[in-house]
Amino acid sequence: MMEKEILEHGLNFNRRRFLSTMSLGLGSVALGSLMIPGLLNGGDRDDAGFTPGIPHFAPKAKRVIYLFQNGAPSQLETFDYKPKLCEMYGLDLPPSVRGEQRLTGMTANQASFPLAASFTDFKQYGKSGTWISDIMPYTSKIVDDICVIRSMYTEAINHDPALTFLQTGSQQGNRPSMGSWLSYGLGNENKNLPDFTVLLSRGIGNGQGVYSKLWSNGFLDSIHQGVQFSKGEDPVLYINDPAGMARNERREMLDQLAQLNQMSYEEFGDPEITAKVKQYEMAYRMQTAVPEVMDLSKESDDIVKLYGPDCLVPGTFAANCLLARKLSENGVRFVQLYHQGWDQHGNLPFEIKSQAKDVDQASAALVTDLKQRGLLDETLVIWGGEFGRTSYSQGKLTPENYGRDHHPRCFSIWMAGGGIKPGMVYGETDELGYNIIKNPVHVHDFQATVLHTLGLNHEKLIFKHLGRRYRLTDISGKVVRDILS
Amino acid sequence: MNKNWRGVFEQIVFTLAVFLVFLLAFEDQLVVPVWLQSVGRLHPLVLHFPIVLLALLLIFEFFRFSQPTSDARVIIEKWVTDLWIFGAVLTGLTTIFGLLLSKESGYTGDTLFWHKWSAVSLFILFSLIYWLRFRSYYQKLSSRLLIGLVSILLMFTGHYGASLTHGEGYLLAPLNQNKQIYLEDALVFDHMVKPILEKKCISCHNPDKKKGELDMSDIKNLVKGGKNGPLFKIGKPELSLLLERIHLPLSDEKHMPESGQPQLTDEEKQILSLWIKGSASFTKKVSELVPSDSLRMIASKIFVSVNNQDVAYDFSEADSKIINQLANEYRTITPIAKNSPALRVNIFNKSDFNSKKLEELLAIKEQIVFLSVAKLPVQDADLAIISQFENLERLDLNFTNVSAKGLFVLKTLDRLKSISLSGTQVKFQDLQVALMGLKKLQAVYLWDTPLAEDELKRITTKFASIQVNAGFKDDGKSPLKLNPPELKNTSTIFETDAPLTLFHTIKGVQIRYTMDGTEPDSLKSAIFDGKVRVSADTRIRARAFKAGWIGSDEAVFEYYKCAIKPDSVTVVLPLNRVHLANGPKSFFDRNLGTFNANSPAWANFWTGVRNNDMELNLDFKTPKTISVVSLRVMEELATGIFPPQSIEIWGKLNSNGKFKRIQILKIPVPKEMKFHELYAIDVKFKPTNFKELKIIAKPLEKIPQWHGAKDKRALLLVDEIFLN
Repeated sequence: MMEKEILEHGLNFNRRRFLSTMSLGLGSVALGSLMIPGLLNGGDRDDAGFTPGIPHFAPKAKRVIYLFQNGAPSQLETFDYKPKLCEMYGLDLPPSVRGEQRLTGMTANQASFPLAASFTDFKQYGKSGTWISDIMPYTSKIVDDICVIRSMYTEAINHDPALTFLQTGSQQGNRPSMGSWLSYGLGNENKNLPDFTVLLSRGIGNGQGVYSKLWSNGFLDSIHQGVQFSKGEDPVLYINDPAGMARNERREMLDQLAQLNQMSYEEFGDPEITAKVKQYEMAYRMQTAVPEVMDLSKESDDIVKLYGPDCLVPGTFAANCLLARKLSENGVRFVQLYHQGWDQHGNLPFEIKSQAKDVDQASAALVTDLKQRGLLDETLVIWGGEFGRTSYSQGKLTPENYGRDHHPRCFSIWMAGGGIKPGMVYGETDELGYNIIKNPVHVHDFQATVLHTLGLNHEKLIFKHLGRRYRLTDISGKVVRDILS
Repeated sequence: MNKNWRGVFEQIVFTLAVFLVFLLAFEDQLVVPVWLQSVGRLHPLVLHFPIVLLALLLIFEFFRFSQPTSDARVIIEKWVTDLWIFGAVLTGLTTIFGLLLSKESGYTGDTLFWHKWSAVSLFILFSLIYWLRFRSYYQKLSSRLLIGLVSILLMFTGHYGASLTHGEGYLLAPLNQNKQIYLEDALVFDHMVKPILEKKCISCHNPDKKKGELDMSDIKNLVKGGKNGPLFKIGKPELSLLLERIHLPLSDEKHMPESGQPQLTDEEKQILSLWIKGSASFTKKVSELVPSDSLRMIASKIFVSVNNQDVAYDFSEADSKIINQLANEYRTITPIAKNSPALRVNIFNKSDFNSKKLEELLAIKEQIVFLSVAKLPVQDADLAIISQFENLERLDLNFTNVSAKGLFVLKTLDRLKSISLSGTQVKFQDLQVALMGLKKLQAVYLWDTPLAEDELKRITTKFASIQVNAGFKDDGKSPLKLNPPELKNTSTIFETDAPLTLFHTIKGVQIRYTMDGTEPDSLKSAIFDGKVRVSADTRIRARAFKAGWIGSDEAVFEYYKCAIKPDSVTVVLPLNRVHLANGPKSFFDRNLGTFNANSPAWANFWTGVRNNDMELNLDFKTPKTISVVSLRVMEELATGIFPPQSIEIWGKLNSNGKFKRIQILKIPVPKEMKFHELYAIDVKFKPTNFKELKIIAKPLEKIPQWHGAKDKRALLLVDEIFLN
């Protein structure tokens, strides 16, 4: 069976070689390529305009830290102040506002859609006068450093597709995650750490799953895959030498293995083989680099007070924020955090307060900490979930308790740092917080903007796979220039 | 060409001329049928032939009277004459095609007018010359006059035609390109509003051509308005004539710009509207608007900020061979962008670093614009090397060993914009001197340095053009609450005794605890010293304290003694579908569960029953003496998780005997809603020697009346069983 594949590979290899040599030969005939550009490229070099590892233009941000609030935090209790909901408390959402919006199975059969005002108050903060809810006291102190986008919208109404859409540009998965695209597009800054790392934490609120497909490299080389750092003594699984193996023995073993791999690469030409060799080498170097990064014991008292006492408790969001700073500072391109527990279908006031308490101080601290090290200018920090929540209550609405269902038509996120205008609010929703009335930002627009701050043109960051060119933004997406600094 | 053919062509020219005159005369009534529209659209293709042919013929004709040789004369007489009539046919056809094309919507205005009539004149005159060419009065002078006239007509026609296709000013646009205007200098009227008026309005509303008695080319007349009065009401775009006209439907006669003329884009409409809505000022700068102003947001799309323009570097690219030699896993060197000569350099790894790592970079000293050596043992002496990186813009020296004195040498870096000195030992006096040397500096980062608050303030005021970032320093005014202490043990279940292993992640925290069930406080309770061992069921209550912090909430840890373990456990009646835990092994695996048991992900350690009793058989190879059986249960009344209504203990005293009931414990049903709780229920009896032991725990059959789920069966959850 294997023989057939080897034969096929040989044929492919020769055809490709033939085409590309031919194209090189003819390519020197400038006239030909002038007349029909692309004709002579052998069809296999559509990404010719792009050199992996080097941005298209000078970037503002060099790295990203994405504080993903998994489960979809309610925008109405955090960043999108809707006093009109107090006035219309308990009244039904007018059908004209709802329009054709499909509902989830959880509220589709609800007899009424009573509008629910936020249980918590909002106040204006900073020079920008941004409205922030009282459950985010620390975030309210950094409003002049962040740009709040209140007009994000998505296409999915359930967690997994929405999350996958935000992270990979497709609801179905199997595509590279944003971090993998950046790893592919920008290469690594520190060759001793992975380009793309993932940190998980969980609050007490209703949780939703986070699966490793979210940090998958999809069809890109597996070197671009996200590496999950877990809490505990072995943050990266299986990188330590087994008992009884000295470091020099490991080195020798790797060298021998590399020779074998080189031989098989020469025979089969599978790029996955070189990717594998690179991974072994990086794992070897990570053996010394990772413990140094993960060591929180040398952080000063001020840092502990800045991030909050939880920041030394492994596995908390605060600890992950602190780690994110350390990883980013050490040149990791993309640090992806997920904090679970934001899915408040019921019991919202209690749960969301606790969720906010988990993340508020540390998120703000991360921005402050990057800023005081002069790193905020070159690091893009993103905070937000996968969609928004309905302005009407799911289940019974009482003064003390209510819930909110999934809502794709609008949600709020914030971005700070590299290339983003600080102290700004972008976009607007209607008085009932249901539809966007100004400056809508689609998920693909958001992705295009993120890539832009990193010096990548989202229309040129492409990879050809199975005969089709793929982009993070698929076939759409517009850079939101209004929020660029 | 023989005479007959020439006659045919002459007829054609004549017919074309007549047809053209006819078309022109009835131009207003002309409706072009669809199939003819395509013919009209051939105009842009066909027009190139007469242009070239005519130009060629005119050159020949120019030399006709100064070329005495007979050969040339023959060529001119014969060939030129033939081609001339042919050129006339082409010109006629092109003109007619053009006329048809002009009937499609979108072509009106002055340019078309001039294009049309110069083309018609060109055709007529050129054809006329054909018949005049051999008259006696057609001599050198008159010929050249006519040729000159035709040439001028040809150029005019071509130029106007090009203007129609490409837009006015297309030809000279590259020469007229204005110098770049930066966001900081842009004026709302001059650079945002006026260009729109110039592009879309002024061609009809200028001093020469005041349609509607309106001249929009200068401010005075713009304010005055036209025959229908002023164009705008300040602050009220919805009442302004200008915007009314723009927003009328395209079919409306009063819609502006006239249909066929280039229309305003949405953004242009928005700019005009916002300008009027603001103050319709003629002098306001974009930078005077607040950043959230919509007009400013549009402006920031149109204009580039001074700070934001892509800097074009004037130095040359470094040799890629040298870059590849210098780059390694601890020293990354990357171009800042594709095709940019500028390089970013990051150096990592403390143990690997020495001055040589910097010295080697001198090979690319011109190209380095960014250098990070943060957290490396960089000394003052190394700064002398860095000072040779002449184009350096950003330097990250965070947590290095440099002093402010060492920074003096950096004054040669006249492009340095940002320097990070957080975590260094810079001193106030020296830093002042150092900063004075850095003329182009825009930002300095001084967090975690020995600088006192007033010193930082003085630097901030003294160097107004530099953004000084001092970062976060706790002022002690808003202390935080500590998190509760934690326990190191993997399990709190023990056979004989176990150490108490409280700990806290924050250094210098004092842990106080109690073992008697009383509340721990910061004064009287025992301070944890790590030497205590627990040898009986104990509830530990502990809190953490530290100066400058608020004492933590209480942490509660339960230690359970389980002296005896059965050799096998059998689950006789089935467990609840989602609360299978690890089956029979769950009861003695020393893993305690926590709350949130309804979520499958959390339910790992909880076994549960609802619709039948929990019946377990414990088997001992050699009989064991037991006097207490304890079941650890969860009570979470709100979600319907209740303690059992009774627990029965049965025993087989030897392998052949029958089960005999040893004890039954009835558990009182909770009388009101309570917060959730985890605890062990002890069933005590006189010491008995068991070969086999059966536990029957009955879940509550009817949830009491005060509960929302009254009369339903309750869930019983057990995570561990202790035998003593």
